Amino acid sequence: MSKYIIPVFIILIVVVGFCKKVNVFDCFVDGAKESITLVLSIFPFVCAILIAVELFSLSGLNIYFSKIFAPLLRLVGIPEELCELLVIRPLSGNGSVAMLENIYNTYGVDSYISRCASVIVGASETVFYIATVYFSTTKVKKLRYGLPISIFACYAGAIISCLLCRFM
Amino acid sequence: MNIVYFVMTISSLILITAIAPESAFSIMLGGTKTAIELAIILVSIYAIWLSVLKIMEKIGANKLLYRMLRPVTKKLFKGESDMALQYISLNFSANLLGMGGAATPLGIKAMECMQDGTDKATDNMILFMVINSTSIQLLPATIIGMRAAAGSQSASDIILPSLVATTLSTLIGVILAKVFAKPNKPQSLPLRSLDE
Repeated sequence: MSKYIIPVFIILIVVVGFCKKVNVFDCFVDGAKESITLVLSIFPFVCAILIAVELFSLSGLNIYFSKIFAPLLRLVGIPEELCELLVIRPLSGNGSVAMLENIYNTYGVDSYISRCASVIVGASETVFYIATVYFSTTKVKKLRYGLPISIFACYAGAIISCLLCRFM
Repeated sequence: MNIVYFVMTISSLILITAIAPESAFSIMLGGTKTAIELAIILVSIYAIWLSVLKIMEKIGANKLLYRMLRPVTKKLFKGESDMALQYISLNFSANLLGMGGAATPLGIKAMECMQDGTDKATDNMILFMVINSTSIQLLPATIIGMRAAAGSQSASDIILPSLVATTLSTLIGVILAKVFAKPNKPQSLPLRSLDE
């Protein structure tokens, strides 16, 4: 069902546009042009963030980090096997998908841990990426209380996810 | 952001230098390489979505979505221009439907409309960022696909818990953002707007 959403949506818009005498071709040309300018302006931010993420995950620091937080996680009902996933989730979307795949292979896709991991990834976002990219074309440098709240809400979501997976 | 970034990079770099100094630079290069690859993918995704958005603007579909979501957005984002609310509505719709690639350019445009020219994020900008960070996707299609591919007996089992978890985390985020927002603005709205 969900695989129809995007193509049907695009067909609908393009057909309605054509019927309303919109120059569809021009729109696609303009869209492509705008997309290059947009990506050029967000690229420096993406690049900077990815250097840090790559360093963080390949230095092994994320594993130390996970070990420190493991007892705390157990306290709130999150299996400690998910520590690394929780550390990488707000930093990198691709990283968390790769880790999720890894968890499926290690613990079996229908295990409690895998279901928790699926819900955690499905119900959260790449917070740091959003924090940098969304503000990249504005003058904003200070996010004030934005980052702590976003992170807190995401981890609260993770705790809720693990709780729900016990009886859902 | 600067502090988080500094601590993260420098502690990782020191650790790498202690264990395997020769790989430090190549790991950093790996990061930039990923960024370039990602940028190319993003140009392609945004090219399509920005084109579709152009058509939507010409046929007035953006106004339609804006009117549909106005009861919620107007209460959440007090004092924002119609233009900002339009992009916010479009961003929310794209997020709800799981079109992450479409949501990002819309979110950037919404932020541009909301900025007040200073280097500090406004309360509304932070609220918008928090809602986007906690995910408001109705159907985690990618994850379900991954589960099915991994041979799950019931790949879509996670839909309901995901929906509940993401709704609750967004609620927590919105309430916290409203609590931390500048106190000189009227404060009776957060709970009421969430009831709807």
